[in-house]
Amino acid sequence: MILKRIAQLAGARTLFNGSFSALARPPPNYEGHIPLNPPERAILAIGNLIATLGETTATPYFIYRLRDVMLSSPTGRRILRDRPRITSKTLDMDQLRKLPDGTVGREYAAWLDKEGVSPDTRSQVRYIDDPECAYVMQRYRECHDFYHALTGLPVIVEGEIALKAFEFANTLIPMTGLSMFAAVRLKRGEQKRILTTYFPWAVRNGLLSKEVINIYWEEELETSVEALRERIGLEKPPDLRKIRKEERARKKAEIAARETLGPS
Amino acid sequence: MNSLRYLRQGSAAVFIPLSSKFPVGPQLLLRKRYYATVTNADLYDVVVVGGGPAGLSLATSLRSSSVTAGLRVALVEGLDLAHARNWKSEPETYSNRVSSLTPGSVGFLTDIGAWKHVQRDRVQAYHGMQVWDGVSGSRIEFNWNSSASETIAYMTENSNLVHGLLSRISELGGVEIIDKTRVESISFGEDNGELDLRTWPVVEITGGRKLVARLLVGADGANSPVRTFAGIESRGWDYERHGVVATVKLEEGSRVGVEKTAYQRFLPTGPVALLPLPGDFATLVWSTTPQVAAKLKTLAPDEFSAMVNAAFRLSHVDIDYIKGLSEGIAGEVQWRERVSQFDYTRVPARVVGVQDKSVASFPLKMRHADSYIAERIALVGDAAHTVHPLAGQGLNQGIGDIQSLIETLEAAVQHGQDIGNSSLLPFVTPNISNIFSLANQGSILSLEPYYSAQYFKNDLMLGVVDKLHKLYSTTSAPVVALRSLGLSVVNTMGGLKSLIMKQAAGRR
Ligand SMILES: Cc1cc2nc3c(=O)[nH]c(=O)nc-3n(C[C@H](O)[C@H](O)[C@H](O)COP(=O)(O)OP(=O)(O)OC[C@H]3O[C@@H](n4cnc5c(N)ncnc54)[C@H](O)[C@@H]3O)c2cc1C
Repeated sequence: MILKRIAQLAGARTLFNGSFSALARPPPNYEGHIPLNPPERAILAIGNLIATLGETTATPYFIYRLRDVMLSSPTGRRILRDRPRITSKTLDMDQLRKLPDGTVGREYAAWLDKEGVSPDTRSQVRYIDDPECAYVMQRYRECHDFYHALTGLPVIVEGEIALKAFEFANTLIPMTGLSMFAAVRLKRGEQKRILTTYFPWAVRNGLLSKEVINIYWEEELETSVEALRERIGLEKPPDLRKIRKEERARKKAEIAARETLGPS
Repeated sequence: MNSLRYLRQGSAAVFIPLSSKFPVGPQLLLRKRYYATVTNADLYDVVVVGGGPAGLSLATSLRSSSVTAGLRVALVEGLDLAHARNWKSEPETYSNRVSSLTPGSVGFLTDIGAWKHVQRDRVQAYHGMQVWDGVSGSRIEFNWNSSASETIAYMTENSNLVHGLLSRISELGGVEIIDKTRVESISFGEDNGELDLRTWPVVEITGGRKLVARLLVGADGANSPVRTFAGIESRGWDYERHGVVATVKLEEGSRVGVEKTAYQRFLPTGPVALLPLPGDFATLVWSTTPQVAAKLKTLAPDEFSAMVNAAFRLSHVDIDYIKGLSEGIAGEVQWRERVSQFDYTRVPARVVGVQDKSVASFPLKMRHADSYIAERIALVGDAAHTVHPLAGQGLNQGIGDIQSLIETLEAAVQHGQDIGNSSLLPFVTPNISNIFSLANQGSILSLEPYYSAQYFKNDLMLGVVDKLHKLYSTTSAPVVALRSLGLSVVNTMGGLKSLIMKQAAGRR
């Protein structure tokens, strides 16, 4: 979440309005595309805003990799052919909220509601020249919220980091890898939990399960999360909230025990 | 020291003078008179096995050289050559076996008088070459300055070439062509008392006739029986790839006024090449896995065309996926072409049709014989070396062999002349006394110069082509980055590029 907020704050577009536009800019390749000239690209790549970092480092190599993953799967290819967008216009949120418990659509809607965001919160891809690659990046961003529904990982920092680790192992997109450095900012106990419980889960499942970028979410809204997880070979991650609760309970019990024993 | 005889020797020398170290006298010859089995009619100076391009080129050049024209030559071919001899070309129809002949090869074919018998309106010269990496897209472009109109190579149907060679042979006369006849076995001759033929190969052909060869040339292709007889190992490996060939039709008038260009793209499964033929035609050579080759051969014409267009335009991931489809290939390719980014000006014109029955495939391998020569034996062409077709050099190497072998034989015959005996042609009408008369001249007919001129040259070519195949069979990112960098660097270096082109064109 931290990452997403920074990205929103940064509003990548504002970066170069004005000063650099003096340099000849080629015509856009798709709606919203801002073709970059080489100095801009260089500066963008150096800049440490995570959203833009994701986009510039993802061109050309990693985004091609992600596209190739899609091109190797029949469903991935269908997505590329249809280029569906996940927005509040394409998804009827009210409808999703009415779906039975445990369905992908219901969990997704619940997650967005809890977060107080809408599908439109994801920023628009602007700097990738190849329209198809730009779409892949867009899709990748728009699908992120579905991953929470799929894994059931909570929206706390630890959950977000675990999810990022999973995505990294699953797609090998460097941006998600870089984001894992956020783990340094966690408390020691949380760090330990991440390293011993979530990273192993994330790496194992990221590598072994089918690529989540190839899920046609629009067609899975009524599928049960359980069934979908099974289909792509994904284990349910350890329940973070439960672990945290247990841990707190254990700590409390320890303290209580110490107090009752008192200095002998 | 005038008494000479033929000796079995480990080296490649065909004739060596008898020295005092070999005290084998006439008594021995006389003692064996009793065993005479060979008639004079069966003795040949040169017996060529194989009537492919290599064998026919050798026979032609032996007859066209004033120095070797006197030698008695026979050529044995298993297949019926009548088909090639009576080859009638049909306009707008091209054979799927086409070779790119370098200017060097064409120069030699011209010298031996064969090129004028090749139908020139069916030969397509090209002046430009586009070669690119199917993973990274990095590319190297070769363009001879078109005003200098330097030709990189001439696309020539094998049937056209073989027909031209056969026409030239019948124009020259004097080669005994024995076709529809296989070599059944090869052995060494005997010492019959009058003639010691123990080092002379004896070729037994279908029907039981035996040809005795002063020099036996194996031009008998990759599975050379002559090589096997000579006990020469041929080493190498199979690429587990097949070369799919086809004659295709390009979009009409698509390249009017544009210099003819050859295109080759290195895909991870192997290179795919489209080489120009006259008009709107082109020949395809696509090296790929045996499974894909089998699949390509089953495709309907429009699907086949779509696959070829995909091979030059789409990402290798796309190609991998699409070739696995059981239906809808053409539609899938159409969509992918629309959204894929490639430079229209640097890919071949779109394939719109494939000639009926022209899709075929051949297993690809790399083989190099340990030696090209043994006593009284020489190997030429595919019998000596088989190369991956990615550089279009197989037949050119074979022609290089012939060129070198003929020079070696000329030198040997001329060496006999130096001794001072006027009789240069002792074998035109072979009789035993003539054979001894040549022997008495002390002629040293050594094949060594042929071996040393060709072996290392071919070995280098085989090695480079093999490494190229391997270098481009990977999608590993660091390798792709390095090879792309290398290619781009070479592409910017004019001098090096023209050196490569000169090499590829076989210019000396
Ligand atoms: C897909 C593909 C594409 C190619 N493209 C090119 C190219 O662009 N440029 C190029 O230079 N080369 C190319 N080549 C290579 C070229 O075709 C060969 O190098 C050439 O045909 C070899 O000629 P050859 O005369 O040595 O052998 P072959 O053509 O194989 O002739 C051997 C002959 O010997 C005969 N024979 C064999 N055994 C016996 C026997 N026991 N008795 C009697 N006769 C026998 C056979 O019938 C045959 O006619 C390509 C090869 C392939 C597979």
